[in-house]
Amino acid sequence: MKIIKVGVSAFVTIGLIYFLNNSWNVGSPIPPLGKFLDPFHGFWKNAENVKIGDEVGQIPGLKERVVIVYDSVLIPHIYAQNDDDLYLAQGYITAKNRLWQMEFQTHAGAGRVSEIVGEAALDFDRGQRRLGMVYAAENSLKSMEADPVANSMVNAYTRGINAYIQSLDYESLPVEYKLLGYKPESWTNLKCGLLLKSMAKTLNLGEKDLEMTNALHLFGKETLDILYPDYEGASDPIVDNAGNWKFTPIALDSLPLALPDELVSLPPREKSSPDIGSNNWAVSGKKTKTGSPILCNDPHLELNLPSIWYVIHLNSPTVNVMGASLPGAPAVISGFNDSIAWGVTNAQRDLVDWYKIKFKDAAKNEYLSDGVWKPTKKAVEKFLFKNGESFYDTVVYTHHGPVPYDETYHGDDEKNHFAFRWIAHDPSEEIITFYKLNRGKNHEDYQRALDHYSSPAQNFVFASVSGDIAMRIQGKYPVRRKEEGKFLLDGTKTSTEWKAFIPNEQNVMHKNPTREFVSSANQYPADITYPYYVTATSFEDYRNRRINQRLAEINDITPQDLMDLQLDNYNLKAAESLPLFLSYLDSTQLKGSEAVAYQKLKSWNYYNSVESEGASYYEAWLRALLPMIWDEMAAEKPALDWPTTYMTFRFIKEKPDFSFFDIQGTPEKENAGDIIRKSFSEGVAVIDKWKEEKKKDPAWADYKDGYVQHLLRQEAFSYHIKHGGNGSIVNAHSRRNGPSWRMVVSLEKSGIKAWGIYPGGQSGNPGSPYYNNLLPLWTEGKYFSFHFTSSPELMQTSKMATLTLTPKK
Amino acid sequence: MKFVYQVIITAVGAFVLQTFLPWWTGTIVAAGVGYYIGNNGLLSFFGGFLGIGLLWLGMALFIDVSTQSILTEKINRILPLNSILLTTLVGGLVGGFAALTGALLSKKQ
Repeated sequence: MKIIKVGVSAFVTIGLIYFLNNSWNVGSPIPPLGKFLDPFHGFWKNAENVKIGDEVGQIPGLKERVVIVYDSVLIPHIYAQNDDDLYLAQGYITAKNRLWQMEFQTHAGAGRVSEIVGEAALDFDRGQRRLGMVYAAENSLKSMEADPVANSMVNAYTRGINAYIQSLDYESLPVEYKLLGYKPESWTNLKCGLLLKSMAKTLNLGEKDLEMTNALHLFGKETLDILYPDYEGASDPIVDNAGNWKFTPIALDSLPLALPDELVSLPPREKSSPDIGSNNWAVSGKKTKTGSPILCNDPHLELNLPSIWYVIHLNSPTVNVMGASLPGAPAVISGFNDSIAWGVTNAQRDLVDWYKIKFKDAAKNEYLSDGVWKPTKKAVEKFLFKNGESFYDTVVYTHHGPVPYDETYHGDDEKNHFAFRWIAHDPSEEIITFYKLNRGKNHEDYQRALDHYSSPAQNFVFASVSGDIAMRIQGKYPVRRKEEGKFLLDGTKTSTEWKAFIPNEQNVMHKNPTREFVSSANQYPADITYPYYVTATSFEDYRNRRINQRLAEINDITPQDLMDLQLDNYNLKAAESLPLFLSYLDSTQLKGSEAVAYQKLKSWNYYNSVESEGASYYEAWLRALLPMIWDEMAAEKPALDWPTTYMTFRFIKEKPDFSFFDIQGTPEKENAGDIIRKSFSEGVAVIDKWKEEKKKDPAWADYKDGYVQHLLRQEAFSYHIKHGGNGSIVNAHSRRNGPSWRMVVSLEKSGIKAWGIYPGGQSGNPGSPYYNNLLPLWTEGKYFSFHFTSSPELMQTSKMATLTLTPKK
Repeated sequence: MKFVYQVIITAVGAFVLQTFLPWWTGTIVAAGVGYYIGNNGLLSFFGGFLGIGLLWLGMALFIDVSTQSILTEKINRILPLNSILLTTLVGGLVGGFAALTGALLSKKQ
C-alpha cells in the first residue's frame, strides 16, 4: 500500500516537474512554466531598474581595455584603443541590449522563423529562401571577406556578439527566449549579410512588373501610359541640373523592346508599404543662424519594438563617430563624426526584373537561353520546425536568379515560370562604405566611401564642418532602354538582360547648389535631361515639395526650425485636392452628420495635427474614394496596381469623364463628381460608425491609432500612440510606419552639436525602463541632445554607468 | 510546531539551492524535509506548498516592488492568471507534492 502511495505521489511530482520544465502547444503556445515563473531565474530576472550599476567584464579575444560609458538614456559611448576592440565591443554591447531582436531579424532574413514559432511561418520562410535571401547574403559575405578591412571589422563584431552569447545562462536570457522556450545560437558573419539583405528587401524590392504586364494586356498601351506615366511631372527632382549633365552615357545597341502580351495569374507579391520612405536635407551655412551647415535625416520604416535602430558612439584612435546603427551590422549607418555628417533616404528605382523561363520539361533541369539548353541549379532548402519535424523544398536557379513561384509555391499555372533578377543578389561591399563614411573628413572622402556602395540604393545627404553640402543618389543601377524593366521580360534571350551598369560618377549627384540646400524625399531623382532612363514603382509626390518650399523660404535657420520641419504636419495632398472635392458637394443639400463633416472639412487648415477632425474626415473620404475609382483593379487576380494618388487627382481634375470613374457594378455611368459625392457619404458613414463604437470625436491621432508593435506581435510588449502626421506628409507617421529615427546635426566649427530621437528605447528588454523611454519623447516631438566627446573622462557629468571590458587571459 | 518548522526549513533550504541551481531543485529540499519532519500526508503537502510557494511569492513580490511592476504588468497580459499568483501556485504545487512524497516515504507501515 505504502509503495503505491509513494509511487503515485512521486510520479505526480516528477510528472509535474516534467510538464512545467517544457513548453507545450495547446492551441496557443505556453512557455515552460516552472522555468519561466521561477523567481530565481525565470522572467522575473528580466525586470530591471532605472538605475544601472557599473560592470566589469572579461572578454576573450579583446586586445586591450575598452571603456563603455552609458549615458542617461543608455546610449553606449565606446572608447577602444584599436579598431578590432572597437567593433568587438560594438558587437558585445549591441548583443547585450538587443540580442533577441538581432537573432530574430536574421532568422527572418534566412527564412528560419518556423524554428522559433512553428509551421505557421513556413510559407513566409519558403518565400524568403525562394527569393534567394540566403544566396544574396552569401554573395555579400564573400565580398566582405575578400576585403581585409571589412573582414576584420565583421569578424571582430561577430566575436563580440558571441562573447556575450557565451556569457549567458537561462537566468540572463532575453525574456522572449524564455517565453518561447528556445536558446540563441552562435552568431556568424553570414548573419551580418542577412541583416543587410533584409534591409535591401524592405527598401529595394519595389516593382510592379507583373501588374504592369497585366495592365498592358487589359487596357492597352495608350491607356497604360495615361495611368502610369514614367514621369508625372509632380515633384521637385532631387537634383535639378537641367542641361548640365556633362558626361557621355553608356549607350546600349537599341533593340526594339518586345512588349509582352499576356495575363499572369500569379498572386500579387508581398509589397512594402508605400509609407516606407524617408526625408533628408542639408542647408548651407549661408542659410543658418550660426553660419554652419545643418543636416537632417528621418528614415520612415515600419515602427516596431525593439526599434530597428540602436544609437551608439564609437571612439578609437582612427574614428570618433556617433549615430544610428543597425543591430546586426558593425559601424554607424546614419550619423556624424568630428568633420562630417550624413544620412540616407531610399532611392526609388526599379532594381528587380522577372524573366519568363522556358524549361525543357517538368523536371526543370534545363532552360532555354539564346537557343541553347542551359542547366539549372537546384538548391535543396531544409526547414526545421519548432517541434523537431522538418520540411524540404527545392528552389530552381537560373543564371538570372531563383524561380520563386512554381506549382509547389503560390504558382497556379505550370507554364508560367519567372526567374527573379534582383540587384541585392549581386556581391556588394556596403560595409566598407560605412567604415569609410564613419572616418570621412570631407566631401572627397564621402565620394570615395560611396563608390563602394551598391544596394539598397539610397540618397546620401552630406554636410561638413568645412561648409560643403551635397547629395548623391548611390546604388548599382542597370543601364536601361526606354520602358525596359516595367514589364515581364523574355528569359529565352540574353538581349533582354542587364548589359551594363551606370558608372558611379554618372549617378545623380550635386554639391553646394545655388539654392543653398539639398534634399531628398523619395521623389524622382533628376530633371528629365538626365541621360538615363529612370523607372520605379512610384515616386513620392508631396513631401518633397513641402520640404523644398519650406527650405527655400526660411532663413537664419536654427536646429529648432529644422526639428519643426521634421515634425511638420501640413497635408499638401489635402490642400491640393480637398477644395476641388468640396466643390462637387452641394452644401445646401447636406443634412445631419454630412453637414457637420462638410463644415469640419471646409474649416480645416490642412494640418494633420493630433486633434484635427478634418484630417480624419479627409482620410476616411480618401479611403472610400480610391477603391471606388479603381474598382476595375480590385480583384486579387490578375494582379493590378493602382495609379498614384497624385495621378488619380489629376484625372479627377482634368478628365472627369474618364471611363475608370464609372463604377462597374452599377447600371448608371458615373463620372468624377458622382463618385466624389458617393464616397463622401461612405466616408462620413465610416466616421459615424467609428464615433459610435469609440464614443468620442474623431480626433486625427485617435482615428489613426498609431501602433508600435513588438516583433513577435505580442500586444503586451506593444504600444498605441497619439501622434500627428501621415504618409505623404513631412512628418510621415501613418498607423504603423513613420520616422524611425530623427536626427539633426549642426556642423559648427567650435564642435558638432547633434540631436536625435527614435520611437523606442536603447534596451530591447520589455522589462527594462529603457525599452520604451524614448517613445513618449518621440511622440511629443522632442529630441535628445547627444553627448559627443572624445574621451570617457569628458563623459563624467552625463554618465549613468561604466562597463569596463578587459581581455580574458 | 512541526508544521511551522517544515515550512521554514523548506523555504530556507530551497532558497539556498535555487539561488545556484535550476528551479526544480527546491523539490529535493521539500521532499527531504517532508521525510525527516514526518508530518502526516495532507499536512506535509501544505507544509511543502507553503514552504516553496511563500518563498516564490516573496521573491516575486520583492522583484515586482523594486522594479515598479515593469514586467509583471506585461506578463500578466500574456498569462491566463496573474503572474504573482501563478508563480506562487506553481512553486507551491511542486513543493507540496514533493513534500507529500517525502512524508509518505517516511511513514512506518
